[in-house]
Amino acid sequence: MKPLIKLENVTVTYDNRVALENITFTIEEPAFLTVIGPNGAGKTTLLKTLLGLLKPVEGEVIVLGRDVRKEAIAVRKLIGYVPQRERIDPAVPVIVKDVVLMGRVPRVRPGFRLGKVDVEKARQALERVGMLDAWNRPFSHLSGGQQQRVLLARALASEPKLLLLDEPLSGVDANSQEIILEMLRKLVDEGVGVVMVTHDVNPVIGLTDYLLLLNRKVIGFGKPLEQIRPEKLNILYGRKVEIVRMGDACYVIGGDSHA
Amino acid sequence: MPEILALFTYSFMIKALIASILTAVLSATIGSFTVLRNLSTMGAAIAHASLAGALVAFFFGVEPAIGATILSVFFALAAAYSGERGSGSMDIALGVTFGFSAALAAFMLSLTREYTVVAYSYLIGEVLGVTDDELLLLGVFTLASLILVLIFYKEIKFITFDREAAEAMGVNASLFHYLLIVLIAVTTVVELKVVGSILAVVFLVAPAAAALEFSHSLEKMIILSILFALSSSIMGILISAVYNLPASPTIGILASLIYLLALVFSPKRKCCRI
Repeated sequence: MKPLIKLENVTVTYDNRVALENITFTIEEPAFLTVIGPNGAGKTTLLKTLLGLLKPVEGEVIVLGRDVRKEAIAVRKLIGYVPQRERIDPAVPVIVKDVVLMGRVPRVRPGFRLGKVDVEKARQALERVGMLDAWNRPFSHLSGGQQQRVLLARALASEPKLLLLDEPLSGVDANSQEIILEMLRKLVDEGVGVVMVTHDVNPVIGLTDYLLLLNRKVIGFGKPLEQIRPEKLNILYGRKVEIVRMGDACYVIGGDSHA
Repeated sequence: MPEILALFTYSFMIKALIASILTAVLSATIGSFTVLRNLSTMGAAIAHASLAGALVAFFFGVEPAIGATILSVFFALAAAYSGERGSGSMDIALGVTFGFSAALAAFMLSLTREYTVVAYSYLIGEVLGVTDDELLLLGVFTLASLILVLIFYKEIKFITFDREAAEAMGVNASLFHYLLIVLIAVTTVVELKVVGSILAVVFLVAPAAAALEFSHSLEKMIILSILFALSSSIMGILISAVYNLPASPTIGILASLIYLLALVFSPKRKCCRI
């Protein structure tokens, strides 16, 4: 079986400094992977490495069974990407349907127009995140959480095999957060791989299949409850972190959080 | 009114009008992407390179538009390439482009007095003096640029809104970014005869920036931008003909005035007014 993601001794440099060092982990089947770590830990760099936008100076990166260094464009066309919302310029005038239809652009060759099928896929994706009513609304008029759901719909419209999300819960209201996480879990159950970078681990502890603790190096990788250990989180964040356990559930206090 | 219509019995007026319409449509379309991608400074630097290129070509007896195209495309691509290498690099490249182009233009000017008239026409434009050949070239450049925008519209729109995601999802974002840069360079060449290098950036940016104040979709922004650019062009030519004023600066001033009015009446800025 081809692995969903396999990183073997991967080292990445960025702006002449080591951003990721000797990263090794493998996920065989479509699963939900959450990456946590403090600011500057290399979380976004990891996503860019998976996309082939950054080339490792050492090591091997396999995504969806393909070597990213050799087949970057082919791999990217199988990936849905949700960037940090803050990086999008709200001044650009676009309607929600325009944003979601952008997810179909990589599927249609340059020079060809988007068709009825693309519009239908875009509408279905928007409906899945509960935002179909906003089809004709200006993107800039939506709340942060609604915008994030539209960006997720754009990624879904591309019918991805793997979804990469960079801080999708940052600055998002509780309702949207719940919708986004439920949607991600459903996608994994349907066979889509999910890799989500986040500051706040608490909302995903019960949902994610794997947790990667990253601070330039892999501090821990495995099932979430195995990784939520004070000794590991203290190393990850470089300070004392407390964990409150209630039965099977647990809550991290003192980790990085936007809340 | 009949007097104004009578002006268009002159062929130079008809040619000026056609040249202005072509330039307005192209500038407004490319200008929309220029404004949204924060490339206005690049537009200004490239306009200077167009001027230098036109003068060098004229000196060697070549069609000035060819020299302007070669130099402006070269500098535009060089600046864009520097920008891709790292933050701050494009600023430096644009600064060098500005300085070098101005120096080259000044150098060429000093070589012969004959240049003064020619240079002046490229500096502030000479829309009433557009020749048949220039009009044909202008038409070809405009049509080719607009066709390219239409063909690659969905990709250009994606990178304008979210280049990072476009690249991440398999769109060749760098290719379309460079295409846009070349189109900006070609637009400044088209503008050279109509509004001149000094006013080129105003004509590129002002109608699009004004349209942005009233638009929530890119298509509406482009259409409004074309309407604003056409209004300033046609009004500029008519006012200059009636009151015996220089046409190109009149067009530039009108385009700027439309932008100022847009700022005042912008529905997007209502929240900020006292």
